[in-house]
Amino acid sequence: MSGKTGGLFGWIDARFPLGKMWREHVAEYYAPKNFNFWYFFGSLALLVLAIQILSGIFLTMHYKPDAELAFASVEHIMRDVNWGWLIRYMHSTGASFFFIVVYLHMFRGLMYGSFKNPRELIWILGMLIYVALMAEAFMGYLLPWGNMSYWGAQVIINLFNTIPYIGEAISEWIRGDFVISDATLNRFFALHVVAMPLALLALVFAHILALHEVGSNNPDGVEIKETKNADGIPVDGVPFHPYYTVKDIFGATVFLAVFSVVVFFVPDMYGYFLEHANFDPANTLNTPEHIAPIWYFTPFYTVLRAIPDPFGGFVGMVLSIVVLFFLPWIDRNPIKSIRYRSALFRINLLVFVVTFIILGYLGLNAVTPLYSQLALRFTELYFLFFVVLWAYSRPHGAVFWIGSFVILLGGVTLYDVFMNTSEYPELIWKTWIIPAAYLVVTLLLPLFTNLGLEKEVPARVTS
Amino acid sequence: MKFLAVVLVLLSANVAWAAGPSAYEKGSFGKIKIDLSNRTSLQRGAKYFVNYCLSCHPAQHSRYKRVADDLGISEDLMRNNMIFTEQKFGDLMTVAMKREDAMKWFLGIDPPDLSTHVRAIGPQAVYEYLKTFYIDETRPFGVNNLHLPNTAMPHVLVNLQGTQKAVFHDETDENGKEHPVFDRFETLEPGTLSEAQYEQVVVDTVNFLAYLSEPAQLVRKRIGIGVLFFLVVLGALSYFLKKNYWMDIH
Repeated sequence: MSGKTGGLFGWIDARFPLGKMWREHVAEYYAPKNFNFWYFFGSLALLVLAIQILSGIFLTMHYKPDAELAFASVEHIMRDVNWGWLIRYMHSTGASFFFIVVYLHMFRGLMYGSFKNPRELIWILGMLIYVALMAEAFMGYLLPWGNMSYWGAQVIINLFNTIPYIGEAISEWIRGDFVISDATLNRFFALHVVAMPLALLALVFAHILALHEVGSNNPDGVEIKETKNADGIPVDGVPFHPYYTVKDIFGATVFLAVFSVVVFFVPDMYGYFLEHANFDPANTLNTPEHIAPIWYFTPFYTVLRAIPDPFGGFVGMVLSIVVLFFLPWIDRNPIKSIRYRSALFRINLLVFVVTFIILGYLGLNAVTPLYSQLALRFTELYFLFFVVLWAYSRPHGAVFWIGSFVILLGGVTLYDVFMNTSEYPELIWKTWIIPAAYLVVTLLLPLFTNLGLEKEVPARVTS
Repeated sequence: MKFLAVVLVLLSANVAWAAGPSAYEKGSFGKIKIDLSNRTSLQRGAKYFVNYCLSCHPAQHSRYKRVADDLGISEDLMRNNMIFTEQKFGDLMTVAMKREDAMKWFLGIDPPDLSTHVRAIGPQAVYEYLKTFYIDETRPFGVNNLHLPNTAMPHVLVNLQGTQKAVFHDETDENGKEHPVFDRFETLEPGTLSEAQYEQVVVDTVNFLAYLSEPAQLVRKRIGIGVLFFLVVLGALSYFLKKNYWMDIH
């Protein structure tokens, strides 16, 4: 496929870098040959994006962004539009699967150090995609104009009220009204179907372009570009096409099978993907019994609720997302892959995953005295993870480990003494064991065991 | 500051508008089994629905024609027996009652739309609701409901079920407060139907309402099996294609 080809392709290629782009990004983009299961989720995220855009276009043909008509137009799609129910379920299921895929994709990055030099910018662009995706999902959730759409949006937008002095002006500006109303629905529709998708596509484009500039990481965290053959081709690389195109087709098929099980058999996923209260139309006078955001927001919602001061909670929630942007400068350990990092790093990462899931679970449920203390403890663990990750960047002496243990556990304890508002002292000290045990394991074990030992990174990929 | 207060309330407690302690054990009146393959049950349910519910509760997202097509009811049968207003066969199943009138008659409650509300609360709730009306002279319509205490709806099926009274006893909770707890129902006057016949009427009605809340249920699982079969075949083929391409990579 050089520029000399004749025919239509040759004509185009002489005027547009079609062949060049194909070669650079597909046919001669050398990807490491040792991608494993976790490397499916990048291409799957792209697949879900395509599903969302295509199904979204067809929904837009029948949906009416009007407070009087929106709810009925969605039911019209579900009942009167040919295959409308399928298009709608694909879109609603796609929203949840987008987050499942993206969370697994991000976890892959954490495991194999894919955010480290020289891929910091890929990570930051990815985080921007994630934030844009959250905005996209939040605004899309208002559009069916169900009762949970309405009250969920009410709660989330009112979060901005907690900002001192300018808060109420900001939320009024977002809503375009004093309450959630037709004006809010209209602008959310515009942002959901035009502005955010454009931003997402641009960011995804930049994310992939940046990836192809530096090349893909792999489960060994070894740079394949450092071992090239006489032709300048990485020895451990294979051309993306056909090797990874055929592999990703297989991955996409398996994914679509799982996706179809939800779409066709449990489209509301027992109230997690489509919340039951949302089958009643928005009603300003009737608050749903229990307002919970949709599942993919609940970990951050728990962080928000864990801190009693409203503005403090808001700041905590924002920080829990912002901290992820700084990951490349928090984890500075030169070893990329989990395969060669210490057992303690693995434990730390495992605790983080469990913490994230528990935070999500707590956010789905109503607050009880126990749950509110657990929310606080796992919020502490969420942030401590990053401190420990930073500490694992390089070897330290006994003074460092003991010192940081004392400071961190002291901080946690001081918070309990002066700021913990729980009326149940027993719950406070019983749950205090959670961060205490975490810090003992992560900060004191390096002193007494060899769990902190790291392995030697091979020069080339292993499998 | 009003909004701040709303935020505080919503965030701090996730307000539960609980109606006091549950007076009876949910599910103690049996569990509804939804069977959408039972067409005669759905047809009977449709009949009960238009006779007893549709005069006040709309099903405004559903069309008569769609129900007729889905349940195998002929156009003539539908027109003559199930459409009581001037509405057309292809019309939405709305009610003629004005919303303001409904609010006036039913203690300020607008009868919810039954084409979507059942999906919000689930069929089991409707099933228990229809079985637990009892005589309570303190209520405007002379009846109360165990599932939905102080309901604004009259017992529209009372001629079929007959009247029953609820027997309560008092129990003391851990805070020393006394609550009435439901014991049993006692029949006062039997209705035109036996207990088993009334049960069937409720089951058919709820079955129909479950269908009405999502008509696509009739087809989506069947289509899903076809889609999954296709994807399994495609998955197997793409797996062998991948294996073949990767044969020489070690």
